[in-house]
Amino acid sequence: MTNTVFSMLTKTTRSLAAGTLLLLAGIAQADVTALVGATLHPVSSESIDNGTLIIRDGRIEALGDDIDIPDGAQIIELDGLHVYPGFVHPATQLGITEIASVAGTVDTAEMGNINAAVRVEVAVNHDSDLLPVSISGGVLSAHVVPGGGLIRGSSAVMNLDGWSWEDMVINAPVGMHISFPSGAVEDDENEDLQRIERVIDRARHWKQASEAAKAGNGSAPARNDQLEALVPLLSGEVPLFLHANRYDVMETALDWAQEQEFDNIILVGDPDVRYIAERLASDDIPVIMSRVYAMPTRRWEPYDMAYSAAARLDEAGVRFALTDSGGGMDVANARNLPFQAGSAVAHGLTHESALKSVTLWPAEILGVADQLGSLEPGKRASLFVADGDPLEVTTSIERVWIDGQEFDLMRDRHRRLYERYRERNARAQGRDPE
Amino acid sequence: MRFLITLMFFSLAGFSASAEWTPDIEAWNSPMPEQPAAVIIRNATIWTGTDERILENADLVIRNGRIHSVGHGLSAPRNAIEIDAEGKHVTPGIIDAHSHAAILGGVNEASRISTADVRIRDVIDSESINIYRQLAGGVTAVNLLHGSANAIGGQMSVIKMRWGANPADLVFEAAPEGIKFALGENPKQSNWQVDEPRYPQTRHGVEQIIREKFQQAADYRQSMDDMPRGRAARDRVPPRPNHELAAIAEVIHGERDVHSHAYRADEMLALMRLAEQFDFVIKTFHHVLEGYKIAPQMAEHGAAGSGFIDWWSFKYEARDAVAYNMALMHESGVLTGIHSDNPELARRMNLEAAKAVRYGGVDEHEAFKMISTWPADQLGVGDRTGRLADGFDADLVIWNGHPLSVYSKVEQTWVDGRRHFDLEADLRMREQLEAEHAELIALALDENGNENGNDNNNAGEDSAPERRRVHGFATHLTGYRDSELDHDEYCIFHAH
Repeated sequence: MTNTVFSMLTKTTRSLAAGTLLLLAGIAQADVTALVGATLHPVSSESIDNGTLIIRDGRIEALGDDIDIPDGAQIIELDGLHVYPGFVHPATQLGITEIASVAGTVDTAEMGNINAAVRVEVAVNHDSDLLPVSISGGVLSAHVVPGGGLIRGSSAVMNLDGWSWEDMVINAPVGMHISFPSGAVEDDENEDLQRIERVIDRARHWKQASEAAKAGNGSAPARNDQLEALVPLLSGEVPLFLHANRYDVMETALDWAQEQEFDNIILVGDPDVRYIAERLASDDIPVIMSRVYAMPTRRWEPYDMAYSAAARLDEAGVRFALTDSGGGMDVANARNLPFQAGSAVAHGLTHESALKSVTLWPAEILGVADQLGSLEPGKRASLFVADGDPLEVTTSIERVWIDGQEFDLMRDRHRRLYERYRERNARAQGRDPE
Repeated sequence: MRFLITLMFFSLAGFSASAEWTPDIEAWNSPMPEQPAAVIIRNATIWTGTDERILENADLVIRNGRIHSVGHGLSAPRNAIEIDAEGKHVTPGIIDAHSHAAILGGVNEASRISTADVRIRDVIDSESINIYRQLAGGVTAVNLLHGSANAIGGQMSVIKMRWGANPADLVFEAAPEGIKFALGENPKQSNWQVDEPRYPQTRHGVEQIIREKFQQAADYRQSMDDMPRGRAARDRVPPRPNHELAAIAEVIHGERDVHSHAYRADEMLALMRLAEQFDFVIKTFHHVLEGYKIAPQMAEHGAAGSGFIDWWSFKYEARDAVAYNMALMHESGVLTGIHSDNPELARRMNLEAAKAVRYGGVDEHEAFKMISTWPADQLGVGDRTGRLADGFDADLVIWNGHPLSVYSKVEQTWVDGRRHFDLEADLRMREQLEAEHAELIALALDENGNENGNDNNNAGEDSAPERRRVHGFATHLTGYRDSELDHDEYCIFHAH
């Protein structure tokens, strides 16, 4: 019932707001919005009770408990509610898959081993039904990661709402993704690793030759899309996202990457990261840990091995973000990301770290902390309003702003079907739908 | 031998009762926790699963495995074990109506379109670590089902999570007989290549083959009933026994409950109408993704709905799955439950119940009933478990906080008045395992730290192959037996 009333209110507010915009175009500063009365949770600093947050031109202009509201601002009363920055999904296939069993809707993994030159953002379907459902759960931006081959290509941080993929790009390329072959742990001559090394070696030569040519020493090397795509990685412009599961594979992968003199490495791995926490901390390698909700890696491990892994990372001083599996069933349920962080709290992580691990920390690791991850002046006004703590499952998310525009939550297919059948079932049974 | 082992268990149990009971990760080596004559849990917030709803600062008395009383200011029976649960919540045990977590050697008998003759009861895996892990999440009973490859699958088995018991003793003796059906993409083989396609390949074909089986089963029962008894039978050739049709005949005579995998509204409606033609009721639709679209019809027919709450869009038939499904079915008067269908998810069903609050505003106590009370009713054991009331089995969970909170965890899980999971005992088990691990490492290494007896370094050759998943962001799991990772591979598109 609250949902219905709320969605009607939202609709009304929106049409009123739209009407006002039309009427006042050119007269007032229609692009200024003031959120008032809510508890603001900047994440980067202490919460502010009964705060005011000013949005101008899609960005946060100011926030605090003593902020003057600019003339002409649209005022949104949010008494008793809570404002949080949108969750930043640290690694997912959102936008590049729709229905896992229908091949035509799946663009998650290119064939072949070397896909350095693919850039995933061009395949993001801005009208995917999965996106409004994620937004409805507070996940407002996501790091979209290609999944195919050993060298998988470059990833992108995307806004989850927009009129084209081009509109939605926040940062691309974010980095180059390599799946480290697990066979290399016990095999010095692992073929897959040798494939990766050969390509990287060739790319180094290509880069050298190309630089030499630019300096007037020799002719330019022949164009090669795959090798060129690796240049930003080799010159340290973008980080290496090293994907590995199981602690021995991760350790071998890190040894290898450090031998290769990549000095900007981000490890993407399963809860086994807990076993190499000291090294990750001392080498200052940030981690994107997949799946708090995972079976213990080994049968004999404690039942909470994955649940408590994040707490272990935090104690050791590792910089980390929490994510789901990024693929399979988890793509459509990216909205459950905050609950993974919440469950880590039940098993020892501090609440503050849990909240950061799905907001500010992924933004920092992904190089977008100047734009996302907290409520701070100058950042994108991508935030949501909830009736409580958003890491709790029972909390409901009531309103969303993305880049300063209120998002119509009725674009969430689930909310639409809910309203439609709720009314119909009540009618069919002679009940009052409220 | 069996006797000796039993004897050993008893002596172990006897010993640890006075010392400290510690479970093991191998069920065969895990002493059965004792069943105290009397237990009193005091000062708890008790979620009853009954009209009493949630009782604050209440007590609960267990006697010989059954709940003796629930209320305020109860007095402790003589020699009762006392548990002070101030600040804690006590709920009925979680009941998972759809599980494949303890089945030995293959969840699917993916051959004939009807395999009503096969029985889960014959392949219960009492050693599955999932049982212990799910106890740690508060699960006290699960319904073990075949997969969804066939329109008419096999006979299910409801078990209690009595970690340490043998397969026969896991069976929940009070549960009525049931059978798995499956509709939609899986029985019609939509999502994988088959060398020799089998009939049917459409939803109307699925409905037709089920109807045909019902007709044959009716004839079979009739022929059995027509067989004269005693002397008159001497000159008659009896009908050939047919275990498949015998089981289906039980279905149409209301002696065996149908638990049907189903996603779409059309196929569920068709099966209900078919059942009505044969004058019986479909007990429960499982997954029931589009249940909300035909909730009034389900309520009228009397079919329950047991679903996963928020999985969607993994197959075309999961396109219209909505997390509001539970709220909508519940509002329409459908007996509604939430299940896991996944051994990992089964460990945190309380948070799945919390989603029924999030999506559609279901009352918290009602939401909890969706993972305990109502699944118990769906499985026909609602008079034995799923409620905290006088006379019910002492299947319950002690939580360190609000059971629907993401910040809470299970402290103790009791089954039949036995403390089968205890956080403190679990920590003792970890210490034992670590000590054992250290001993083994010491044995394997000589005094110089070199490996003993492994000169030719061929350890990999005869070790068990590691089971790997290569879907998306692959996971690597070690040391599990295949049966512990088994799932309905037709159901989830190989993704979990």
